Amino acid sequence: MKAVPVPTRASLALRPKQPVNLLLTAAVSAILVLAYLVSAYVSPWSPKRGLGLVFGFLAALLFVFEMLYPARRPKARPFFTARNWIQAHVYLGVVAMLAVVIHAGFSWPHGAFGWWLLLLSAWTTATGLAGVGLQKWIPAALAEGLRVEALYERIPELLEKLLAEADALMEDASDVLERFYRSEVRDALSKVRPSWSYLMDVRGGRDRALEPFRRMAQFVDPEEKEKLEDLTSLYTEKMELDAQYSLQGILRRWLVLHVPPAGLLMALLLIHVFGWVWY
Amino acid sequence: MSLRVDRVELLRRYERRLQLMVPADPEYLKVLPLFSGVPEKARLKVVEKVRKYIHLVEFAAGDTILREGDYGDSAYYLLEGAVEVVVSPAVASASGIRPQVRGGAHVPAAQRPGARPEARGMLGRPQGTGGTVILSDFPGEIVPGGRKLLEPGEIFGELSALSRYPVSANVRAESVVKVMQIRLPGLRMLMASSKEFKKFLDSRYRARALALHLRHVPILSALDDKFIDRLTETAELVSFEPGQVIVQEGAPADAFFLVRGGYVKVGVHTGSTELAVTYLRRGDYAGEAALLLDEAWPFTLQALEHVELVKISKQDFQAITNQYPKVEEELWREAVERLRRRGAATRSPISSEYVRMAMDTGLIHGESVLLIDLSTCTRCDECVRGCADAHGGQPKFIREGIKYRNWLVPTACYQCTDPVCIMDCPTGAITREVGTLEVTINEPTCIGCSNCAERCPWGNIVMVETSEKRPDGKTVELATKCDLCLTRPQGPACVQMCPHGSAVRISFKDLDRVTATLR
Repeated sequence: MKAVPVPTRASLALRPKQPVNLLLTAAVSAILVLAYLVSAYVSPWSPKRGLGLVFGFLAALLFVFEMLYPARRPKARPFFTARNWIQAHVYLGVVAMLAVVIHAGFSWPHGAFGWWLLLLSAWTTATGLAGVGLQKWIPAALAEGLRVEALYERIPELLEKLLAEADALMEDASDVLERFYRSEVRDALSKVRPSWSYLMDVRGGRDRALEPFRRMAQFVDPEEKEKLEDLTSLYTEKMELDAQYSLQGILRRWLVLHVPPAGLLMALLLIHVFGWVWY
Repeated sequence: MSLRVDRVELLRRYERRLQLMVPADPEYLKVLPLFSGVPEKARLKVVEKVRKYIHLVEFAAGDTILREGDYGDSAYYLLEGAVEVVVSPAVASASGIRPQVRGGAHVPAAQRPGARPEARGMLGRPQGTGGTVILSDFPGEIVPGGRKLLEPGEIFGELSALSRYPVSANVRAESVVKVMQIRLPGLRMLMASSKEFKKFLDSRYRARALALHLRHVPILSALDDKFIDRLTETAELVSFEPGQVIVQEGAPADAFFLVRGGYVKVGVHTGSTELAVTYLRRGDYAGEAALLLDEAWPFTLQALEHVELVKISKQDFQAITNQYPKVEEELWREAVERLRRRGAATRSPISSEYVRMAMDTGLIHGESVLLIDLSTCTRCDECVRGCADAHGGQPKFIREGIKYRNWLVPTACYQCTDPVCIMDCPTGAITREVGTLEVTINEPTCIGCSNCAERCPWGNIVMVETSEKRPDGKTVELATKCDLCLTRPQGPACVQMCPHGSAVRISFKDLDRVTATLR
């Protein structure tokens, strides 16, 4: 029987959750580009009139829809599930960016304001897509690589408990073990140590960090071996909590790169639209 | 007109009841007719063992002792005074089933205006607990809507407690009443120690409930009254303790079993290990395939907890198949389906692992268990926020709990088949409408006694502080738990608000879906 290949996490992160939506977006994008090509062939392209203006409106409308994402909450949202909303948010965001580029006629902007608009649109779309990637990569990494699962807000509290547990465990330990604990372990147990490296490998650095425990095993009495094992497992748990804290932190903080620039983009968009209407 | 219930008054009455609830005196107990069936030599020993489950309780005139539709865990032996039993017309109707439709999440999507088909999948068991049978704990002569007075020496509530079926009538104290409340473990001990008592309870079950129970087994529903009567006389009522083997794989099949109460594991030996193929619960049955094929038991049945079964002999079973070809046809169809499922389970041991996990963790008790796929969950807490938004800012679950592989079982009510939380609620604030899925807490009548929270084996009921103060200045804490967003037409907010589709609701009885989901 042929073995089914196990997909890599990278391929899973790139795989769309709703392939139909990806195909639909690709088809719509192709139609938009085709419309541009035909229009640009027939008459010189201008963002201020004809189809160029239509694409400008389309981009503006789509960006307004993108800003409505918070309206998905139950009280305000009469239709669809949150899943539909996020799918629409992601794919229409890509279409909005394409509409901006077509609106500009696939050419660089002329003034500083145009550059700001283009760069902010590109940044918001890029950070949004990077967020999508992170939202697929990190949960899979956390679920597959770690045994411990914890609420982000409770991790510092859980660490305090781990420390108290370790202190209690070492209370009647031998001098050797107690000294090892005080000098090599306790400090590391006492506070959360976030690291970007967990993004690439949630179990990264574990072997190196546990090496002193393995070396220590030869210096403790046989009856203390169990105690050392318990301490090792507490330390392992702490490292898992570090990984949880780091990666859940990234999942929360990437929005800082996406939401404020999106707000700025909306403000500039409003000025852009008013400017066009006024003049 | 204000409909507000005086919580302080309810609490005062409850505390008064507790004061009046005293452990029974062994000297008093041993002379009661209830214990007369216990051999004299062992009587005092039995009384000593059982008495911790027996309390003397006093009710004032007008107090409710049992509420229709509630789940009871005690039998009541009337010592003094009289109680009034009132059977509502709906319960006493010929079918024994009340309509299951009530607005809310359990209603199959197609029946709700504007509901979407996918909402159906949110609950795991979209049919709710529809078809719930209400067995009568009370004399059959009570006419629908009628009443009857029970006098000292009568026992009531035992069928509901033993079979975990909802109570079939309201029982109110007609005068000042003194009853002996016998909790389920005590009732079981008494049945085990006194043949006479067991015989007495079995005869009542036969007379009042067995026929109705048999009629509600889908494959037996075509049998005529005469045959059902024959079965009620010949069927054996058997019980097993946790871990006890009911039938052994390979032994000659000699009976058809119908589960009255409790959970039974169905296991199959493959190589040196035993795979848990599925489990049986109230209303399920086993043995039809082996009897039809006239072969040995193809699986082992083992009690997971205290189990009550109805055992129909091979002869009676064969009489059914001889007399009712349509029933036989249906049985063959069912047998083929079960063989297919068992084959699938033995071919794919992973599904067996899920069954075992569900048994070990208690998830088999759940009608609608919330699961979160941690490999896609971004820990955004939208599920919790959605829940809070749907419940006036107070979430009804915690995104923390057991982790099994990539799945998290959060601290959210499982909506148990036998909700033990209901049994100890002194004001009847926790209810499950018969035939529905949601076990709900009526906040205005909750007095914050925390009985339910202490009783929930899974820790899924949480006491939450409110802004209310008691007369003694203490803050009022009220019980809170998931109610499947009963009033939300779109279904549970946790599932609908998850942007990544990571939250699902499932019943572990639906093994095909469990396997497909957890894979």
